[in-house]
Amino acid sequence: MTDWQPPNRWPPLPEGVQPAVPIDGYPNTWTFTPASPPYSRPLTRTEATGPLELWRKLPCGDNNLAVLAPGKIALGQFIRISGRILGEDGRPVPGAIVELWQANTAGRYAHSHDDSKAPVDPHFLGHGRVFSDETGGYTFFTIRPGAYPVPVKDTWWRPPHVHFSVVGPSSLSRLVTQMYFPGDPLNDWDRILNSIHNPTARMRLVARQLHPAEVGDAFLAYQFDIVLRGALATPEA
Amino acid sequence: MSSDILLPLSSHTIGPFFPPRFFAKADNDLTRISRDAPPTTQGTRYILVGTVMKEGRVPVPNAILELWQADAGGRFRHPLDPDCEQADPDFLGWGRDWTDLSGRYSFRSVLPGGYRDGTTRRAPHANLTVMGAGLMRPVSTTVYFPDFPAENAKDAVLKMLPDSARSRLVATERPREDGARVFHFDVLLRGSPEDETPFFQD
Ligand SMILES: [Fe+3]
Repeated sequence: MTDWQPPNRWPPLPEGVQPAVPIDGYPNTWTFTPASPPYSRPLTRTEATGPLELWRKLPCGDNNLAVLAPGKIALGQFIRISGRILGEDGRPVPGAIVELWQANTAGRYAHSHDDSKAPVDPHFLGHGRVFSDETGGYTFFTIRPGAYPVPVKDTWWRPPHVHFSVVGPSSLSRLVTQMYFPGDPLNDWDRILNSIHNPTARMRLVARQLHPAEVGDAFLAYQFDIVLRGALATPEA
Repeated sequence: MSSDILLPLSSHTIGPFFPPRFFAKADNDLTRISRDAPPTTQGTRYILVGTVMKEGRVPVPNAILELWQADAGGRFRHPLDPDCEQADPDFLGWGRDWTDLSGRYSFRSVLPGGYRDGTTRRAPHANLTVMGAGLMRPVSTTVYFPDFPAENAKDAVLKMLPDSARSRLVATERPREDGARVFHFDVLLRGSPEDETPFFQD
């Protein structure tokens, strides 16, 4: 039990942190994005709370996408992605569900809707789900995804990226986003990444590369910390 | 509390490739706290069905929906609920579904109770979040039930809408199925001001 009460309204994000929509050259955003602005609503318990034991419903633990079993090893550059799930105050968020999915090294998803001509890798799982530990930490072992072209008229290549879905301790903290790799020239051309107009917010979606002096030579390591809105409502552990 | 406030991460589209293997059969069944748990014994069972549509009322396959609601007594198993201790231990309140090729979704749950939050009243409701390939941010709306016209009229969130839009958030009842009441609630992501589903931001 906590004495902390959520405010009646959560402060809005600064300008340019949320994507500017619809996006030129990304046709689906023109037919899916609501035409009317959303209504502001007061923050009541339904919005301030969320499932705290979701690991009971969604099995967690698959965090190795690259090595399924001895001899079943994905093609590609081994990488480790790790970081912490945090509230806006920097406090760790334990118990958040973290789902990750990505293309294989050739830029192809293990999904029936992906009709790319790039090869499927039978030894690459392509997705994993964990929950954050007591320090808010999470880790995945995977391979660096390939870039892929978007099948639209005015095409572009998505830079290598990793999809994240996080279910936190409140409805406010529900986050779906993507992680990018530092220094990839395709980042500058990506219509999705560049719909984030606030430069600080855009750079926060690019992971930080860790030096092998810190992590050894078994994989390239990236740090990606995930700050959730509304996670201030997290009860003290 | 630290004075350094961190910037929350920006949203992106969930894309077309959310892994089908993330879904299991009971994920859209809120009456079960886990895949093999027996259903809760509290509350009136209902099934929520509907179609997700984009501009032109074109159905959207492969959209992901999440439902979040209080238990039959209007309580959440969360420390921010003062009645947390009395909340139904067999009810998590959360479920996920994805639309089929005709854009249809369904959830199974128990009718939520309403509650009083400070000076605010909430009618029985369920919050519905929709994610999809052309949606750069999840959209969030609230489903109300036709059983409670008086409570709905006083609901703090429904009151934010102009009168003309309120009825769009009240599900319509359909014939019973499988021992449960059935409510129908379509989501039109983009339409005219007269028919687009009202969405909320917090
Ligand atoms: Fe992708």
